[in-house]
Amino acid sequence: MMAVFALLAAVVFGAVAKDTNKERVLYGLKIFGEFIIIGLALAWLLYFIPF
Amino acid sequence: MSKDDNTELSRQTSSSRDWLIGVAGWFFPGAGHLIQGNWWRALLMGGTVWIAFVAGIMMGGRLFRYSGTEEGMSSLLQIPPMIANLGAGLLYPASWLIGVGFTDDPQLAARATFEYGTTFLLIAGLLNYLCMLDAFDISAGRKP
Repeated sequence: MMAVFALLAAVVFGAVAKDTNKERVLYGLKIFGEFIIIGLALAWLLYFIPF
Repeated sequence: MSKDDNTELSRQTSSSRDWLIGVAGWFFPGAGHLIQGNWWRALLMGGTVWIAFVAGIMMGGRLFRYSGTEEGMSSLLQIPPMIANLGAGLLYPASWLIGVGFTDDPQLAARATFEYGTTFLLIAGLLNYLCMLDAFDISAGRKP
């Protein structure tokens, strides 16, 4: 679900930003990767918090 | 005023058509780009909003509304997510009319996907605000 969320957000973020298609694709991939990495990092961080 | 300044000014002044495209883009996700003949962009961005909204509903997500019946400040807390939900345009009143997404059903709330569904519904609206602004900017000549 988190990956689907990241994909949907990355598609729109990538489409509205930048000027060329190549830049848009790269930006979308960057956003997708950032969502996934930050999501996993937060999940692990919260896993160790006992409340 | 130089010729360049005039060109810049005309580019920054938006016409009623630009506003119409913006409103259409908000009301029916993807319509803003579709009116401009930008099929791929309409399919990509409008499709994303539709997928997020339908997925949110299918996951049992909840749409927010201001009812004024909650105690204290709780009613006011419904307003920011309601604004996010309203971004989905036509999909919000359509869901209300067919009675989907607004019910406070404990069985729906107990589903494992309830929170995800609610989040998907929120981002569907917020992403559509971005799509609407994008369609407006393209129509006004502010974006290629």
